[in-house]
Formats: sequence, structure tokens, C-alpha cells
Amino acid sequence: MAETAETIEKKVVLDLDRCIGCKSCMAACFYGHQEMHGVQFVDIGPALLPIVCRQCTDPACVEACPAEAMVRDEEGVVARAMFHCRSCGSCVRACPFGVLSLEKVGHQIAKCDLCRDRLARGLEPRCVAVCPTQALRFATASEMEAEGLVLLGGRTAGEHPIRRRL
Amino acid sequence: MSSSASSPGRAASRCLLCSVGCPVRVIRAGPDQYLPDYVPHAGYAGLCGRGSVLVELLDHPERIREAHRHAGPAASPGDPAEAGDGCVALGLEAAAREMAAALGDADSAAIIVDGNLDADTVASAGRFASGAGAKWAVLVPPSDEAMVRALDSSGCRFVGPEALASSDAMLILGDPFATHPVAAHWILAAKKARPRMPVLVLGDGSSVTADFASAAYQATPGAGLAAAVASVRTGAGADAKPTAGWKEQLQSAKQAVIVLAPDAGSASVLGLASEAAALAKETGAAVCPLTTYGNAWGSVRAASAGPAVEGTSHYRAGGATAIEAILREPIETLVVIGADLESALAPQAVEEALGGVLTLIYVGPMPNATSRRAGLVLPSAFAFEDSGRALLGPGREVAFEPLLPPPAGVPTVREILAMAGAGGEAKADVSAPVPAARMPSNGSKVRGEGLLLRLANDPIHFADGSLTRACRWPQAVLPRPVLVLAEADAEAAGLAEGRTAVVRGPGGSAEAVVATDARQRAGQARASAAFPAMRSVFGWESGAADAYEPVRVQVGKA
Repeated sequence: MAETAETIEKKVVLDLDRCIGCKSCMAACFYGHQEMHGVQFVDIGPALLPIVCRQCTDPACVEACPAEAMVRDEEGVVARAMFHCRSCGSCVRACPFGVLSLEKVGHQIAKCDLCRDRLARGLEPRCVAVCPTQALRFATASEMEAEGLVLLGGRTAGEHPIRRRL
Repeated sequence: MSSSASSPGRAASRCLLCSVGCPVRVIRAGPDQYLPDYVPHAGYAGLCGRGSVLVELLDHPERIREAHRHAGPAASPGDPAEAGDGCVALGLEAAAREMAAALGDADSAAIIVDGNLDADTVASAGRFASGAGAKWAVLVPPSDEAMVRALDSSGCRFVGPEALASSDAMLILGDPFATHPVAAHWILAAKKARPRMPVLVLGDGSSVTADFASAAYQATPGAGLAAAVASVRTGAGADAKPTAGWKEQLQSAKQAVIVLAPDAGSASVLGLASEAAALAKETGAAVCPLTTYGNAWGSVRAASAGPAVEGTSHYRAGGATAIEAILREPIETLVVIGADLESALAPQAVEEALGGVLTLIYVGPMPNATSRRAGLVLPSAFAFEDSGRALLGPGREVAFEPLLPPPAGVPTVREILAMAGAGGEAKADVSAPVPAARMPSNGSKVRGEGLLLRLANDPIHFADGSLTRACRWPQAVLPRPVLVLAEADAEAAGLAEGRTAVVRGPGGSAEAVVATDARQRAGQARASAAFPAMRSVFGWESGAADAYEPVRVQVGKA
């Protein structure tokens, strides 16, 4: 489907140095989205870390979706249109970052929409707002760099992916 | 729940699921729909997994909404049958009168009240028990009770978790990043302000807390942890070498804090907290006690101040140990308010004790194993749907207003007690420290073959009958117990990451998903505490000195 807006400027960024793997982000996301989990966790051995949709500039999930269920809305957020999704899993296989899960909830693929209901109220996504250690941030790249945070791969910050800086 | 500024459609309160006591708010999203809000407030930031979904309890589909009597034999534990399935609905006032009559007619009666209710409700239950000639006790986790009894009269200087941000040296006992995730906010704030500050951790090497430590040492769990703290203090003992210099680091700091977040049994925590208090006095450090229950401190003080609650004479002050003492005696009528005995106490012991109760009455907001056994069930509001007071820790008393009113027709516990004829509401005295009482002696090291297994609390609980239990989580947080093993132990047992293991202990066996960790000390293991089947493995006996302590287990393939 053709994009209707520029990609949203702010991203959910994970500060690796602050994440304690408490899964608060996952719990808040789960409850706020009627039991659909937009936050996945990945076990990298030394740490269990959340991964959140990167809101790609050229999202592979949108390209791969045969039902035009994955769309970028007028705010620039890539999200799944609830009643278009056929749960075929094309988006899951297309996502190069493993953010989407094949696990279906009510015949739907769960997909982070950056909590559009909260964005409309000027609030941060649930995963960011609830994070006890402020490891998850909703900020632009320039805002993160202004705070002296080193961006790793664009969506994570930290001095080292394994060793804790703090 | 503590009140703060409110606006139409929005309320602010406090989460009392642990002693951090985070402010929480809800947003009205529709006529009967509320969503949690997470606005940082009063220096707090975010919520843990439990606090972030607290609101799901408000409209939980299994919530008890009417009084009812089981028409047939009481359902067995784990039976999902509830009101409407073999039950007869009753009017609230009739049910309350029936409860009062059952207590009054019994030769022996007892009331057990959950310690996470507000302090005045606890005291009101005590007064009601006294009027009915019943014993009563307050349920708090054994580790909480032991911590209060060891520390309250110790003369230590106490601080709340928010004070950790200004600390310049910490000794952390336990795994607060898992049990009290929000406390990590202030610990990390302190580390950011003072990157070279010592953060010394005595606990599991594979815990996230240890991951953030400047130095960590995994002592033997249970009684061994208290011995390790003693080694820090005296410089002697088996753990002296790996903890050398720790005491000096605390002594040289201006604002050293000892953080206590243990989750073992009464005996171990009593010894651990006593040693921590002694170390705090010698080093000038403050103590930051983090309890599992938000109002544990208030409940133990309210129960222990029995004479201060007018008219109470038959009370049995205290928490789990007092309850186990009560359950060892013959009881005709037992009223349980808000608690699930089978989830909170040694499972086999409770099973045996409840089997002898002729009339079991449950008062509470959610069904659980105890309510399913009860012949008479009365609905009640959650603590956050009522106003009251709680004591989060020494000097941390909070008064609160309801986050939201309870559903129509669901009374507060105090209203039920009034319907049952209790004379007025009692005011709890939570000002006086609890005198050090006789508790089980410090746990001894567990000898024998096999791995030394201890229970550990997770940031998210599943099998506790509340919050995130009925959900479809992805694989990373499947509601199954996890067994954390050292890599060498897993290899020896032929187990790999993600495989299902069978754990065989003194009380039976249970299955768990294996998680291996190179930082876990060989010979030791930990398992999720929220699962009754896993707790049964330990085979604890009611009131025994080793209740809730680690045990030796055999681990093999499923």
C-alpha cells in the first residue's frame, strides 16, 4: 500500500544500560491493547531485552502484506488495520528485525501502533511511560544524541550491548 | 491507595502491591472502561508489570460480585466452579449475619485477614474477632513478618526506596530489580550521579540486580545469606574472602544504605535482617527494607498492637507463623478475609488444616483456592477501592482515598463487618515499633545430595490468581515455572535451555522450564515462587523452623 505520510520522527529507543528485564513494558502493552502484545522479548544470553517496532522508513511488513492490513497512517505510524489482517504471517516473515510474532490473537497478528490512542492525547506509548528505569524512551535521534546517549543500530542506546555502563 | 490531586474522569492513588507504593492513576476511557495511566509523579517513574495492570482487577471476569453459598460439597482446589455453578445466591446482609452466627456458635473460631488490606480494616477485623470470641491473625509473607520483627526495634536508621537516589554506597541483599522493579529507578539514578559508587550485591549471580553491581557474591541461599552478611561484618567465616573490603566501603561512604529485599522463609530472613541491622549500626548505614506486601509493616504492627485495639483479647498477633499456629489447633469456623491460604502458606500443611474446619467462610474480591473450598462466600472491595491508611515501612505512613468506587452492590470489608454486628470501626495504632518476638531460630544450612533449590519472586506473577494470570503471553513470559540452573548442573542432568525438567524434592515433584545461566553458582538453583505445584516440591510443614527455606532436590529430564 502506498504510504500516506512521512515516517514518524520519534522512535521508541531502548537504553541497554538501564533495562532490567522486568517486563513492565510488555505487561502494560498487553493490557492496553486487549491482550495483544506489541512488545517482544529477546533473550541475548546475558540479558532479556524488549524489542519494539522500529517504525522503519521503508517498512518491509507493509510491502509484504497481501491484504493491505499493514499501513502507515496519517501520523506516520506503521500499524495493522484490525479488520484487514488475515493472519497469513507474511509481515512476520518479512520483518528483518524479528519484531513481529507469528503468535496470533483472535486471528490477528499483533503489531505495535505506538499507542495511537495515547499519542492523540499527547502522551507517550505505554511501554515508555511505564518503564520503571526509563530504559525505554520516545525521542528523536537528535534528542537522544543531545543527552549524550550513543545510538547503536538506530533504536538502541548504550556503550556496549552486553556490559552495563551504569 | 493514597490520594493526590484528582480531576474529573481521572483519579490518582497508590499501588500497594509492594512496599514501594507507586502513585497510580486511571483514565476513564468509556462509561465502564478504565485504563491505567503512568504519569510520572512525585519523583516516581513508571510502574512494574504488576502495578501497570492493576486496573485489570477492576473488571476482572472472575470477580466475585454477589454473596453465595455452595449448595453441594465444597469444590476442590483448582476447580474453576464459582458462583452460578452449583451455588445459591444470598443477600449480603443475610450472609453477613450467617457469618456472625457461625462464629458465635462455634466452640473454636478464627479469623484470618490479608495483610495487604489497610491498617484500619485489619484492626476492625481484630475487634470483630474479639467480639465473636475468635482468634485472629494477619497474613503477611513469612519474609515480611520476619523482616519487621527483626528490624522494627533494632534502632536502625530507616529510609524509603526514593532515598536510594542520594546514596553513595549500597549493599543489596536479595534481588530487588525482580521483586521491586521500580526501586531500580533510584538505584540507577544514584549510579548515574556517582558512577564509581560501590553497589555490592549478595544474592544470585544470575540475577539482574547482580548484573548492575560493582561487586556481587552468590552466597548459599537461606541461612547461608545471613552467614555471609556476618562475614562482611566480622571479616571471619567462609564468605569473608569474597566479601573482603565491603564493610570498609560502606563505612567510608557518607550515605551508605543496606537494601533488604529477601524472599526466603522466616528463619533465614530473621537471621539475615538481624545481621543487616548489626552491620548497619557498625558502618553507619541506613536500612531500606522492601517488603513483598505494601502494608506488611502496618499489618504486623496493627496485629502486634492488639491491646491498643480496644477490646481485642483473643488475637494471635503476627503473620504466617501465627496463622500456622492457629491452623494446628482444631477450628470449627474459620473466616478468611481476602487471603488465599493455599497460595501463601505451605500447601500440604494448609490442606491438612482446612480439612478439619467444619465451616469455612471467605470474604474477598477474587475467587481463589480458599474461596472454592468455602461454604459461604461474600464479595468485598479491593484495598484500592476503599480509603484507609498503610505503613509502607518505618516512617512511611500513607493515607489514601479510593482509586475508584467498588462495583455496585460490592461492599468494603469494614461494611461487611458492620453488617455482621461489629461495633464501630477500629483505629489501628501503627506508630509503635513491633517488639522483637520469639521467632524460629536462624535457619541452618541444608545438607544432603542434589541441588539446593530456593524459591524466587518474579517481576510478573501468573499463578497467584490475580493480575496477569489469564493471558496469552509470548514464549518469553509463558505462565510456567522457570528453573534457573548453572550451566554445569544443567549439563550434568542432560538438560538444555528451554527444555522441561522434573524437580523432585521432599514434598513431591513438579515440572519447570530450564533456564541456564553461566553466572549461576553450581550446586544452587532457583524456581518461580508463584506456582503452587512448585511450592509443593519443598514439602514444608506448618510452623516448622525450616518452612520456606531452601531444600535439596533432584533435577532430571521430564
